[in-house]
Amino acid sequence: MKNIILTSCSFLICFSCSRVDLISANAESIIAEVKLAKGSQAVLLNIWATSCPPCVAEFPMIVNLGKNNSELNVLFVSTDFIDQINQVNQFLHQYGVVGKSFIKNQKDQSFINGLHTEWTGALPFTIVFAKNSGEVVDYWEGSQHQTRFNSAIERAIKL
Amino acid sequence: MRSKFILLFTIIYSSLFCKELELGSNLPFGDHRLLDISGKYLSLNNVKGENGLLVIFSCNTCPWVIRWEDRYVSLAKKYVPMGIGVIAVNSNESNFQSVDNLEEMRKHAEYKQYNFPYVQDFGSRLARIFGATRTPHIYLFDDKDNLVYRGAIDDNPKDADDVDESYLKNAMDAMLSGKSIKVASTKAIGCGIKFK
Repeated sequence: MKNIILTSCSFLICFSCSRVDLISANAESIIAEVKLAKGSQAVLLNIWATSCPPCVAEFPMIVNLGKNNSELNVLFVSTDFIDQINQVNQFLHQYGVVGKSFIKNQKDQSFINGLHTEWTGALPFTIVFAKNSGEVVDYWEGSQHQTRFNSAIERAIKL
Repeated sequence: MRSKFILLFTIIYSSLFCKELELGSNLPFGDHRLLDISGKYLSLNNVKGENGLLVIFSCNTCPWVIRWEDRYVSLAKKYVPMGIGVIAVNSNESNFQSVDNLEEMRKHAEYKQYNFPYVQDFGSRLARIFGATRTPHIYLFDDKDNLVYRGAIDDNPKDADDVDESYLKNAMDAMLSGKSIKVASTKAIGCGIKFK
């Protein structure tokens, strides 16, 4: 009996550890979350959608960047429509995303400019923030080769 | 060394092609030949009306296009008779052998009852010169071929009946009545254009 209880507890703890917390958010609250990491981790913010093939193609690579680097916090921001929240949740689970993740709940114009004024709205969009200064180190629209990601992350961790 | 070269190339490439056409710019590539779903070649100069031209960068499968494209049709229905030519341009060259091939475009236009030309932009040359990055991405030119509005159709892709700001319609109405356009540049989320 004791073993069953212990096993159940372990399962629950593991389940809660590997759970993704999908939060409906506007640009302001996402940037506030980014700022929380200042001084402890660089942040890679990836704006994506389940219906965006280039986003989906680079998604596993970005998940791995976060898993393989303790000095990097990867935050995903889904721009899927809010009525697709279950589909987004399922996708995040499928790719092993854990911790906080976001889904947009704001009109496009203010959301786009709130995250980065140079972003035109095309997906995917990625912003990398420096670990110590919290400043934007690099950003780009569209999918990119992993080299670009690595280079930006390397600089972000040093700055 | 190789990775530095790739990075440098990416930065130069991005800076060359991602700059949006400035407001006030003259219509570029007006005579550039574009293959229409009718099988004929058209140019922007062929399509423009006496009062202006609306260029819509679009495609067949993007969810944002799907949500907005009924509004292309209603806008064309209203504004083409008022002298504004309308054209949808598909610049997704990476998909020209698959979901955005001419036959699929023809079927899509028929299904959605497009009432304007729908053309392929080989080499995505038009998208590059316009600085178009996504679908849908809108460019409105006046009767002197000057760019007067660029960006989004309105502020609600999900529901045409729940729009707060009809950016494009407001711009077209102001342009036709000779008034200044209050909001001349907007942004919206869309699918990135699939450049080759």
